[in-house]
Amino acid sequence: MAETTPAFYLVNMFNPVYITSARAICAQDTFSNNNLPEEIKVFEQNILNYHEPDYKQYFTIMQLRRMTRIIKIGLVTAIEALKDAKLEHPQAIITGTAKGSMTDTEKFLHDIVDFNEGTLNPTAFIQSTYNALNGLIALHHNANGYNSTYVHRGFSLENSLMDAIMLFEENRIENALIGCFEEMTAEHYELKKKMGYWKNEAMKNINLLDSSTAGTIAGEGTFFLTLNKNAENAIATLSGLRMLYNADEALVKITFKNFLAEHNLSLDEVDAVFLSYNGNIETRHFEDAISQQLSPSTNQLAFKHLCGEFDTAAGFALWAATKVLQHQTIHPSLIFKKGTSSTLKNVVIYNQYNGKEHAFYLLEKQ
Amino acid sequence: MPGKRVFITGMGIISAIGTGVEETLVSLRNNASGIGSIEIVDTLLKSKLIAGEIKVPNDKLLELTGVKKNAYYTRTSLLGIAALQEAMQMSKLDPSRQKTGFINATTVGGMSDMEKCYFDLVDPTTKSNENGLADCLDCADCTEKIADHFNIKDWIATISTACSSSANAILYGARLIKSGQLDVAVCGGTDALTRFTLNGFNSLKNIDPSPCMPFDENRNGLNLGEAAAYVILESEEQLQRSDNKPLAELSGYRNFNEAFHPTAPSPNGEGALIAMQETIQMAGLQPADISYINVHGTATLNNDLSEGIALKRLFGENVPLFSSTKPFTGHTLAAAGAVEAVFSIRSLQEQIIYANLNFKSPIPELGLSPVTLLQTDKTVNHVLSNSFGFGGNNASLLFSKYV
Repeated sequence: MAETTPAFYLVNMFNPVYITSARAICAQDTFSNNNLPEEIKVFEQNILNYHEPDYKQYFTIMQLRRMTRIIKIGLVTAIEALKDAKLEHPQAIITGTAKGSMTDTEKFLHDIVDFNEGTLNPTAFIQSTYNALNGLIALHHNANGYNSTYVHRGFSLENSLMDAIMLFEENRIENALIGCFEEMTAEHYELKKKMGYWKNEAMKNINLLDSSTAGTIAGEGTFFLTLNKNAENAIATLSGLRMLYNADEALVKITFKNFLAEHNLSLDEVDAVFLSYNGNIETRHFEDAISQQLSPSTNQLAFKHLCGEFDTAAGFALWAATKVLQHQTIHPSLIFKKGTSSTLKNVVIYNQYNGKEHAFYLLEKQ
Repeated sequence: MPGKRVFITGMGIISAIGTGVEETLVSLRNNASGIGSIEIVDTLLKSKLIAGEIKVPNDKLLELTGVKKNAYYTRTSLLGIAALQEAMQMSKLDPSRQKTGFINATTVGGMSDMEKCYFDLVDPTTKSNENGLADCLDCADCTEKIADHFNIKDWIATISTACSSSANAILYGARLIKSGQLDVAVCGGTDALTRFTLNGFNSLKNIDPSPCMPFDENRNGLNLGEAAAYVILESEEQLQRSDNKPLAELSGYRNFNEAFHPTAPSPNGEGALIAMQETIQMAGLQPADISYINVHGTATLNNDLSEGIALKRLFGENVPLFSSTKPFTGHTLAAAGAVEAVFSIRSLQEQIIYANLNFKSPIPELGLSPVTLLQTDKTVNHVLSNSFGFGGNNASLLFSKYV
C-alpha cells in the first residue's frame, strides 16, 4: 500500500470528449425508458441479476440460439447506444470487461471434464474469449477500425475510455463506441464467496447503504456509450478521468483534491458526487474519506444498492451521471445525502473496486 | 502520429526455447525448436498433441523469481515475473522515479492453475481457497501480481484481444508515452499453456499434431506454446534522465479490425494489409524499406493464406524476407506479439534473420517462400512484426534500428 504521497502526480489532462448517447442494461429496468424506473426493484437475496430485454425484436430465433447471455445483452445495449447517437459505423469499438462471458468459460471447463477431453463443441470456447463481444459488434455494424478490449477489473472501463480519448487526440477518429459488461453466475458467486467477498446474511439491496457488516452483494451490468470529438448533439461532457492503483485513504483524498484543482473546480462547484458505497464496512473508509470533505452544497449519490457490485460497476455511475446531466434531475433512489446546490453542472464519480482500483471521473453539463 | 519518439531500452523473455534473451538467441541461431511432448500440463491431449511447453515447473519458477509465497502466484504470473525481471535489470529503472506504467496482456489469465482445482473451488461443501487462489482466474490477477512485484503503480492495464493482445499492449504503452501520460511503459504479455486452451484450439480443429509448417502448402494447423515477454519503452526526454542506450526504436504501429468473421481472417487479407500498410506509413517509410517481416504465420490454413495475400497486395513482386518463428516457440497467444517483438529487436541488433522451420513447398496460390536458413549477411534496418487474432483483431508493429 502507498503509505506516502509520491513526489509527483500523474496529471493526465485531455481535451473534453462528448457523450452523445448512453445505454444501460442491469438489475433495474434501465433499458425500456433509458432511465431509472419510477419503482426501484427490491431484491431479497444477495444477487442482483439482469432485468433482461426482449431480444426478439433484435435477433432471429436461430441467431438467439447461438448467442450466449452476455453477448445478447452486450449487442442489444451497443445497438441502442449507436441508434440513439445515429451512428451506423463507429470508428473505434473499445470494451472493458473483467470476466467476459463467465457462462461460456464455465461451460467449456465442464465440457472438458464431461466429455473427457474428446470432441468438444468450440462455441463456448470462442464466446469465452474476452474480445468476442467486441468482434461481434464490429461485425454487426460493419465497423472496421480500431478495436480493443481491456480486462482489468476496476480499470477495464477506464482504460477503454482513455484509449478512445487518446485516439481523439491523435486525430485518428471522430467517434467511438465504448462499453463495459459483466455477468454473475452461480459458480462465480461461490468462488467469490470463498474469498469472503459477499455478505453472509441475506441483505435487501435497498438497505445496503445502512449495512454495518463486511462484504457486499453481487450484481451484473452492461453499459455502452458513444463518444464524439464534437459537442454537437452531446448529452454530457467527459472532461476528466483519473485512475489510482493500490492507494491508501490519504492518497485517495489528496488525489480527489488535486483532480478538482486541475479542472479549476472548488468543492462548492461540485453539484453531485457518485460514491461507490457497496455496504462493506471494511472498505467504506475510502468513500467516507471523499464524503467527509464535500461541501454541504454537493449532492452525495450512491448507486451500488441499485446495480450490485461487480468489476465494471463504474459503468452504471457513468450512465446515471449522463442522465442526471441530460435531464437536470436526480432520481430519488440515487440520493445518499442531499445537497443544497440548485444547479447540476459538474458531476464527479468516485469508484473503488476491492480497495485496489480507484477511479475519478468528471462530467459536465453540455 | 508524429511527434515524440519511443525507444526500447529493455526486454525479457521466457519461452520453450529458453529463459532469457541470450539463451533464446542461441536456440534461434541453431534452429533448435522448443516444440515437443507435453509434460507439465495435466491433459489427456498429451498423448496426441505436442506444444511449446516451458520445461520449468512452478517450484523452479518460484526459485528463479524469488517470489515469496505469501499469496498465490499462478504459473502465468511467475512466467511474467521471470521475463520482466530480465527486462527491468536491463533498463535499470526504478519505477518510482518517473511515471511508469505496466500494460500487460493475457488470454486466459490464471486458468493454468485454476483449472486444476476449479470444481473444488466452486463446490459449496468444500472450503479450500489456498492463499487466495479463488481470485486468480481473471486476467488482472497476473498483471497486479507482476506490477506489485516490481512496484509499478502509475498506470495499470490488461489487454485481451486474443492473439494480438501483447502487440496491442505495446502500442497502447507507446501511445500513453506520446500523449504525455507516462515516461516509461512496461509492455508485453504472458500466457501459460492450459488444458482449457489446448482443448479450445483442438475443438476448432486447427492444431497440427506434428511440428507446425507455416506458409507451407501442406500446413495443417498450429502448435500451441507458452511464454512471457516484455519490452520497456521510454520517451526521448526520459532517455536523457535514465541515460539508457536504446536497443531499437518503435517506429510504427497500427491496430485494425477487419470485421469479417468471429474467428477467421478475410480471404483477401484486408485487415492484415491495412495494419501493415499504415504501420509503415506511420514510420514515414516505403514498403521497400522493410528488411524483414516476422509474420504471424500460425500455420493454420486460413491465416497463412490470408496473410500471404496481404503481403503480395502490399509488396507486389518484392515481398521482403519473411519468416514465422512459431515453429520455435509454438503460438504463445497473448504473449506472441511481445515474444516476436523481442525477436525483431534482436534481429536488428544482431543483423540476422531467423529461419522458418519445417518449410518445404510454397502455397500454390501464393508462390511465396519464407527464409528457411538463418541469414547472417543481410542488412536489417526495419523489421515488421504481425499479430493477427480472433474477432478480426489485427495489429502490426515496426521496429527500426537505433542510429
